[in-house]
Amino acid sequence: MLTFLALASVVLLGIVPEQSQAIVIYTGWERHALVGSDIRLSCSFFSWRWTSEDVTFSWTYRPDGSRDSISIFHYTGGAAYVDNKGPFRDRLEFVGNPGRRDGSILIKNLDFSDNGTFTCDAKNPPDIVGRPSSVRLLVFEKVPIQAGVITGAIIGVVLGLLVLIVVIYYLMRFLVARRVFSLSVSSGHRPLSLATPSPKSTVSLPPHPLSVSPYV
Amino acid sequence: MACGAWYPVLGEVMKCVMNLRQAIQSTISQKATMLMLAGIVVVHITTIILLLVATIDNAWWVTNTVSTDLWGRWELANSIWHYTNMKVSNEAAEYLQTVQATSVLACVFAILALFVFVAQLFTLPKGQRFTFTGILQLIACLCIMIAASIYTAELHAKDMEGWYGHSYILAWISFVLALLLAITYLILRKKNE
Repeated sequence: MLTFLALASVVLLGIVPEQSQAIVIYTGWERHALVGSDIRLSCSFFSWRWTSEDVTFSWTYRPDGSRDSISIFHYTGGAAYVDNKGPFRDRLEFVGNPGRRDGSILIKNLDFSDNGTFTCDAKNPPDIVGRPSSVRLLVFEKVPIQAGVITGAIIGVVLGLLVLIVVIYYLMRFLVARRVFSLSVSSGHRPLSLATPSPKSTVSLPPHPLSVSPYV
Repeated sequence: MACGAWYPVLGEVMKCVMNLRQAIQSTISQKATMLMLAGIVVVHITTIILLLVATIDNAWWVTNTVSTDLWGRWELANSIWHYTNMKVSNEAAEYLQTVQATSVLACVFAILALFVFVAQLFTLPKGQRFTFTGILQLIACLCIMIAASIYTAELHAKDMEGWYGHSYILAWISFVLALLLAITYLILRKKNE
């Protein structure tokens, strides 16, 4: 019985990877950057196979509003080939680690003309079936604040402070009532306790002293 | 208050009259108290409604074809109103978010103040002021003042055509009402019997 189970599991393990041999590539979705800065576009992949020596990475670039894409980077056979004729000439650098499945590139000195979509395609022979993944680059003069960040921050901080103050106030009253603390009473102030109703001077607003009672 | 017609001594008659007068006065004072209480609650609810309308309704800055508020922009094109995103410059976007936050906070604090007032009506020891309610209402009034001031100073300061819409005016009116209410709560005292 046990040997039968072991045999079945081995057979299944042999079968299953045959079907799920797709390689999955991960890049970011969107990247924001300032004019003149550098940006690192990351690309990595997941594969059931061990990382082979013939692993390849390639990056292509498609400008905003254009339908053609050009190839700007290729890594194969242990050597990286960067763009030396196109728009990223002398600005592109390979900062990835193929042994660790990292195919990231670094673009220096960004400009508005670099707006566009960068696509990363990785192949890990014999695992070659996969879908390339794209990251969109947006270059700004000044990084805009996301909608609602300041709003949410202000509301959250103020309400949080309110809750904190109320909690501290009731905590202090509770502790004083339990006589854990005893507050010193100076001449003008009344002690912080609930028991004593303090005598008050009259109010001048209405003809007779303004008073409110819940019981009508 | 049955005095009875059978009090021969003048002193006793006087005492009867005094009791009667006290009863009438306490009834009047109770009615006046009730009236005052109802009036305060009505004014408070009005303030809350005005604040909500000012925050939500879309008429802070109005031109002939555009009606904009804190959250979006209505534009008139071919006799049909379209709701679009705000068009503000980068610097104004941060101020706009502050205005949004403070006006929402003003609504929240005003509603909180109403609930705390009702709670304090029943739990406050006699003779004490409604300080917590007053403080919350004061913060609400401050918040809407900050919102309207920042809006006046930073947004649409250089626009040629257009005028301030009814939401903007309601924001200032609710500021005045909230201020009056806050002062009232800070002065009001629970009946000391």
